[in-house]
Amino acid sequence: MKRIVSFVMAAGMALSLAACGGAASGSASTSTAAPAASSAAAADGGEILIGCLQDITGNTSGLGLSVQKGAQAAVDEINANGGINGKKIVMNTYDTKGDVTEAVNSYITAVTVDQVSLIVGPPVANIANAIKETSEGYDVPVVGLAMDPACQTKSEGVPYKNMFALQPSATTQGDIMAAFAIKNGYKTFGILYNQENAYSVSLLAPFVDRLAEDNITVDSSMIVAYGAADTDYKTLLLPLVNANVDAIYCPNYTQQLVAIETAATELGYKGKIITGLDGAPGFNVTYGGDCSNIYYINNINTEDETIAAKIAEIQNDVSAPNKYFLGYDIVMAAADCIGKVGTDYTALHDALENLSYEGITGKITIDPTTHMPTGMSMYMYTYDNQTPVMLEQFAG
Amino acid sequence: MSLQVIINGIATGSIYALIATGFALIFNVLKFSNFSHGATMTAAAFIAYFLVSSKGMGLLPTLLIAALAGALISLFGEFVGFRRILKNHSAPTYFFVSSITLGTLYEGLVTIKAGSNFFNFPSFFKTPTVNVAALVVSTGDLMMFGISAVALIVLAYVIQKTRLGRALRAVSFDRDTAQLMGIDSTRIIQLAFVISGILAGIAGVFLGIKYTLYPTLGSLVVKGFIASVIGGLGSLTGAVIGALLLGILETILLAALGSGYSTIAVFAVMLVFLLIRPQGIAGSNVQEKA
Amino acid sequence: MNALVSNVLTQVSITLIAVSGIYVLTGLTGMFSLGQAAFMAIGSYVSGLLVIRAHVPFVLAALLAVAGATLIGYVIGYPVVRLRRDYISLVTLGFGEAIAALLNRMTTLTGGASGLTGIPRLVGLPLAFISAVLAIALAAFFKTSKYGRQCIALKGDELAAKAMGINVTRVKMIAFLLSVALTSYSGVLYAFYMSYVDPTGFGWKKSADWVIMVFFGGVNSLTGSTLGAFILSALPQVLRGLQNYRYVIYAVLVLLILNFKPSGLLGEWELTPRNIQQAFAKLGKKNTAKKEG
Repeated sequence: MKRIVSFVMAAGMALSLAACGGAASGSASTSTAAPAASSAAAADGGEILIGCLQDITGNTSGLGLSVQKGAQAAVDEINANGGINGKKIVMNTYDTKGDVTEAVNSYITAVTVDQVSLIVGPPVANIANAIKETSEGYDVPVVGLAMDPACQTKSEGVPYKNMFALQPSATTQGDIMAAFAIKNGYKTFGILYNQENAYSVSLLAPFVDRLAEDNITVDSSMIVAYGAADTDYKTLLLPLVNANVDAIYCPNYTQQLVAIETAATELGYKGKIITGLDGAPGFNVTYGGDCSNIYYINNINTEDETIAAKIAEIQNDVSAPNKYFLGYDIVMAAADCIGKVGTDYTALHDALENLSYEGITGKITIDPTTHMPTGMSMYMYTYDNQTPVMLEQFAG
Repeated sequence: MSLQVIINGIATGSIYALIATGFALIFNVLKFSNFSHGATMTAAAFIAYFLVSSKGMGLLPTLLIAALAGALISLFGEFVGFRRILKNHSAPTYFFVSSITLGTLYEGLVTIKAGSNFFNFPSFFKTPTVNVAALVVSTGDLMMFGISAVALIVLAYVIQKTRLGRALRAVSFDRDTAQLMGIDSTRIIQLAFVISGILAGIAGVFLGIKYTLYPTLGSLVVKGFIASVIGGLGSLTGAVIGALLLGILETILLAALGSGYSTIAVFAVMLVFLLIRPQGIAGSNVQEKA
Repeated sequence: MNALVSNVLTQVSITLIAVSGIYVLTGLTGMFSLGQAAFMAIGSYVSGLLVIRAHVPFVLAALLAVAGATLIGYVIGYPVVRLRRDYISLVTLGFGEAIAALLNRMTTLTGGASGLTGIPRLVGLPLAFISAVLAIALAAFFKTSKYGRQCIALKGDELAAKAMGINVTRVKMIAFLLSVALTSYSGVLYAFYMSYVDPTGFGWKKSADWVIMVFFGGVNSLTGSTLGAFILSALPQVLRGLQNYRYVIYAVLVLLILNFKPSGLLGEWELTPRNIQQAFAKLGKKNTAKKEG
């Protein structure tokens, strides 16, 4: 008897869990700053509900949280200035946990339960890859930051209708870093990249291709791959350090970069290390040592006074300032489109495809055939010990 | 194979040895693989990071606090995760499931406190490297090797030469008989968890120094698991030898085959080893309990 | 039906199939695999690649994927069923890592870290749900079959089972292969439901999660294991709003069960017509007793 009661109760509990999963999850995950989506519409002219799909608790949450904070700052700013055509923006945050299955769950919650008009997408390629097929079935644009062109474009060359990225592609960024290295007279290169990370992999080929244009070939023994299971960066770096290459190209996440920089120093490496976006601050803070041998690419010009002031303001609770500004720009650019055409899907989609917006991270001009920006400039930096030094602006 | 690679391998292996010994100690006493050991390492290292290192204190205070935290966490784990299961005389598999769940719990608690972000211990050494002839040895590795060796020698002394150590061995050998001989087996089991926790704390800090500190750092516990199986489950000497061998083998294969294929090769070597010598290096063949 | 509920139910169904495999392996036979999720990955990738690259029809691709995974299972199973139990988890763990490394390394075939995209979405809730029901029925059938009883016998005492004339390695192998087939089939459904797979998420943590589900519901009861899987896989969805706290809650729940109800939620109770009848009969008796009293 006890068993059957406990079974029935448990089964009932399980069913109700599954059933209310939908209703409970969306509104409960609302970010602290925004009121619940289901709450009554704001008094003046209603609300525009958008979603923010980010890695809030997973491995890349440092990036996701930065984008989320930037996006929220933009939302607050717009609302403080009277909203979009009198409507307030409400942003719900959905946690992907850095997991592709969770990302799809969150996406479906956002578009079907909460019915957001637009989603601020993640900076992580695998997450964008996971939702791109699912997103085809709905009418909600995902404006994100995935640098891998494959996240926005199908294999046959047509863009996914909902997937947009508002930062230069991996091709552009790899190209810029290689051009910079060549310009500075580096001749021999080693590469250490994470073969289990889509972002890292996507930056490999463009760099090598650009070097090849200047007849610099990187020997295959100088291209070293690693995976999540590998932690012995010293052994991986050894052949590159022994060959005494001028520069090691390391398109990796900050965490690995810190370990790689530590290992390189311990091996007595004297050359330069060229990193992607993730060598930008807070890399220097986390590493804690002398970072003068690091060159990195960045979306923002920190010499600009307003940007510098803003960074000083946020630096204590944002781990990746450049992601903060990218998130901020996404909301600003999207709000610009919504302000012009409203939230009707077709109109909004067309407006995004023809987006031209002057943001903090540069002039964003979307190419309707790739859903990525063209001609967006980026900046190369290094550090003087711990202080970032802007070296040069590169047109995309 | 260059000597430098071997040195890297020994450096890695000496940390694996700390993990494997803590792991083997619990296996020795309770005959199960304690997967919460990994999360205990992480949690202890995080506590030490926030309480000590982030405030600018040096390596020694960090290690002490980590060891203390590890001991307390491990003791807590014994109480909530294993004591009742032991009393119920449940199958060994229950310990295993419980240990994985405990690991999830600690990892969750660390994530609540620290987020999923990673942290880097401040550099504890003024000069990062020491040159020995043509070889570059990092000061950190040297220090870790030294401290690991000292910790393991102290442990060997305690287990082999002291009354407590004898009691521990008696309980490992046969809990019920030891109890009849007047040994308080619950206390001794707690002692094993405390020692294992101390080792976990030290290993956690070392891992954090080497690979940065992040909530899922504890998954490296599987290295300790592999090492203790190679060494012969439950044998402490075997665990140390197994760990050093694993560290060196991994590094050599990594240098020779590159990432990815080396993982596969390590697996293949391990499989062959288990089939040829299932009792492990130390050869203490623990009988399967019916 | 609400798209989200249908999405959650589909994923739960897919998990149920994998867990029914774990029940056969861990619940019936007492073997612990930390690499079972790797077979899910094999099922996903093989079927996905066959359809995308070789344009094999879905049903055939699914069959081939399950057959392929079972074949690999046979090779891995050879040492697994001969080793002592502690080593089984180690060998399967290493196998899982090796598979993940392979998937990452074979970039041209698998897409490497970027994952395998463009798998057609052919699986929906109906197929997943029916598959789950069939998988559970298969596990139930296996439990009551001769092999199932032999599994339970050798789980209790391998030496005694051997003495009784049970071919221990053979029975273990059959259970292992059935488990592999079920897990790889769940992988097929996963790939064709998600339309995207990447090499992450098939690690030992996932395999361990499945084992925990089985213990949560009742390691000796298929009904319990199913229920455990259902509750624990739906739980994180419900606790979504609690962000970081969800794993802590999950862990505390499981620890409570392990400590205070070690046989799991349902113990050894199974949902069979006879048991239901008995339970109702008892209920009736109690009620009459009460009335009379």
